[in-house]
Amino acid sequence: MTVEIEIEGRTRAVSVERIDADHFRVVLDGEAHLVNAARVEAFGLSLLFEREGASSSEIQIAPGGAPGELLAVIEGRTVAVSVNGRRSRRGSLDGASQGAGERPVLAPMPGRVVRVLVGPGDEVAVRQPLVVVEAMKMENELRSPKAGIVKEVTVSAGMSVDAGRVLVTIA
Amino acid sequence: MKILIANRGEIAVRVIRACREMGIPTVAVYSDCDRDARHVREAGQALHLGPSAAARSYLRIDGIIDAARRSGADAIHPGYGFLAENPLFARACRDAGLTFIGPSPDAISLMGSKTAARAAAIRAGVRVVPGTERPLDVRVFDEEVAAIAETIGYPIVVKAVAGGGGKGMRTVDEPSELPAAIRTARSEAGAAFGDTSIYLERRLARPRHIEIQLLGDGFGTVLPFVGRECSTQRRHQKVVEESPSLVVTPELRRQMADAAASVARAVGYTSAGTIEFLVDEDGSFYFLEMNTRLQVEHPVTEMVTGVDLVQWQIRIARGERIDIDPARALTPHGHAIECRIYAEDPDQGFMPSPGLVSAIRPAAGPGIRDDGGVSAGYTVPVHYDSLIAKLVAWAGSREEAIARMARALGEYQLLGIRTTIPFFLWLMEQPEYREGRYDTTYLDRLLQSRRGESFSRLAAGDQDLVTMAVGIDAFMKAHGRSQSGTDAAPVTHWLQAARREGLR
Repeated sequence: MTVEIEIEGRTRAVSVERIDADHFRVVLDGEAHLVNAARVEAFGLSLLFEREGASSSEIQIAPGGAPGELLAVIEGRTVAVSVNGRRSRRGSLDGASQGAGERPVLAPMPGRVVRVLVGPGDEVAVRQPLVVVEAMKMENELRSPKAGIVKEVTVSAGMSVDAGRVLVTIA
Repeated sequence: MKILIANRGEIAVRVIRACREMGIPTVAVYSDCDRDARHVREAGQALHLGPSAAARSYLRIDGIIDAARRSGADAIHPGYGFLAENPLFARACRDAGLTFIGPSPDAISLMGSKTAARAAAIRAGVRVVPGTERPLDVRVFDEEVAAIAETIGYPIVVKAVAGGGGKGMRTVDEPSELPAAIRTARSEAGAAFGDTSIYLERRLARPRHIEIQLLGDGFGTVLPFVGRECSTQRRHQKVVEESPSLVVTPELRRQMADAAASVARAVGYTSAGTIEFLVDEDGSFYFLEMNTRLQVEHPVTEMVTGVDLVQWQIRIARGERIDIDPARALTPHGHAIECRIYAEDPDQGFMPSPGLVSAIRPAAGPGIRDDGGVSAGYTVPVHYDSLIAKLVAWAGSREEAIARMARALGEYQLLGIRTTIPFFLWLMEQPEYREGRYDTTYLDRLLQSRRGESFSRLAAGDQDLVTMAVGIDAFMKAHGRSQSGTDAAPVTHWLQAARREGLR
C-alpha cells in the first residue's frame, strides 16, 4: 500500500507492506527499511529498526483540531500531517497566499467575534487585519491571505464562532 | 476546616493537593464546560456554579459564597486570577463568616491601586521607578499628561492604575507617540478593569524583573524568600521563571528581601504575597508592584527552599505562627526553572489553541514537577486563560536544571492541541537564555529576529521517521491490527501462562 503524506510543506510517498504481525517493509525515497512497529498507548507507535543498529523511536499521531488533520509528535516537537490529499486547514491557509481566486478566511479556533474591521466591497492588502476574534482572554487579529476585494462578511461583532467557520471571503 | 477552592485548572488541582496532604476536606466549583475537569474529579465535593462564561460562574461572588454554605466549607482559597485580588470578594467571605485564605480586604484594596502601592513603598523607604504618584483619570487632559511626561523624561511607560498582566500598558519613546498610547491604555484598562485611570513611569534601559515572595502571619512576622527571576517575558507576560537569579549577589538578595519585608510590614500584610522589583544594570532596584495572592510561579521558590507555600497559606489562615528559619527561606538550595505550558500555537504567533486533549503523558523522573490541570479526553475551553500546565525542573546547578528541563520537554506528550512546548525546547537552546544575558524585552527581540520560522521544524531524520510512522499508522487503520493467520489480539506469554494455570 502506498500512502501520500503531506508534512512540513512537502508531499512524500511511502510504501508499506506487512511482513508478519510486528514487521513492516517500508520504502521511502527509494530506500527500503525493515520496521518493527508496535502500538503504544492510545496514539503512539514505537518503531525499531532492527537492521539499522536497532535504533528506537516513538511517534505519537492523534487527530488535530481541523477535519483530516493529524498532529504528529516526536521528541516534544509537533507537526501537522495529512494523509492521501486530505488537506489540512493549516495547509490550505498556507497555500492561500500564493493563489488567485476566492479565498475564505476561517476562524482558526472557536471564539467570539470582537470587531469586524472591513465591509463588503472594501479593498484590502495582503496581511491586512480583517476580523478580531477573542479566545482564551486574548484578542487575535485575523489577516487577509491576499490582496483583493472583500466579497462577503458572514459574521458580526458579538457572534460566537466555531473553528473552521468562514468569517470573510476575499475575491 | 473544609476548604472551597474558588478556581479551576492547574491552580485548583495544586490547592487540592496541599489540602489532601494536610487531611483537609476540599470542595471544587465548576462551570458548564468544566464538568469533567480534573479539579472536579480530585476534590471531595464539587458544586456547579453556572454557565461557562467566567462572569456567570467563577467570577460570581454570591454563587461561590452560596456554594460554600451548601457544601459546609468554612474557608475559601481563591487561587490566582478570577476573584483572588478582588477586595469585595475577600470582604464578602468575611461577612459570611468564611475564612478567606489570603490577605485582608484592606491590604488587597491598597495594593490593588498601583499608585497607592507606590506611595506605600515610598513611605516604607523603598525606591520606586520615577513616575507619577497620583492616578491620572479621564479628567486630566492629554496636554497635562504630556507636561508630566516631560518632567519624568522619555522613554516612559503608560500604565493602568488598576492594571496587571501587561494590560493597559504602553511604552512611549517620544512625545509624538503619547496621545495614542494614552488612548489605547485607557481603553484597554477600562475594558479589563473598569477603571480608565493611568499613571506614568520612566522606562529603565535594560531592567530585569526580579520578585520577592513573602509570607506574613497574624503575629506581625513577615518572612521574605530568595528572589525569582522573571525577565523572560513575551509581551509583558511571564513565560519562564527561575530561582535564584544569576545577577543577584547575597548582599543584593538581603537588601531586596529587607525592602520587600518593610513594604509588607507597612501595610500589615498577611498570607502569601509577592513584591515585584525592576533591577537596573548597576544593581539598583525599584519597587514595581505587589501581588496580593499566590503567584503562578510559586513552585520555583518551593523547589529551592523546600517550603510548601500553599500549605503555609492555609496554616496562617488557621491562625498559626510562621516558624520557618529565615535563613532557610533566603538560601537557595540548587536551581529551579518553570516553563508555563500554554494551549497556544507558537508557529501561528502564539494564537490560542483550545480543543480536545486526546492524550497526555507529563514528564516525570528526577527533579521534575508537573503542576498540570488537564487530562486526556478534556476539552480545553475557550473561556479562560490558556495555561494548561507548569513544568518545573530542579537540579543542583542552573546548567543542570536547563538540561533537565530540555529532557523533560522532549518527554512531555500532550496530543490533540498545539502547545508552547516546541517554543520552550527552542528557548532552552538559545545562548541568551543559557548565559542569562537578558532583560524584560530580550525575548520579544529574539522572537522578532526569527521572522516566523517554525519552532517545530524537524531534523531531516525525524521527518523521515514521522513519515514512516504515519504510513504505518495509515496501513494499520486500513487493515486492522493484524492479518489472517495471526491472532486478532496479541497474546503475551504471561497471558498464555495464566490461561494454562486456569485450565489446570
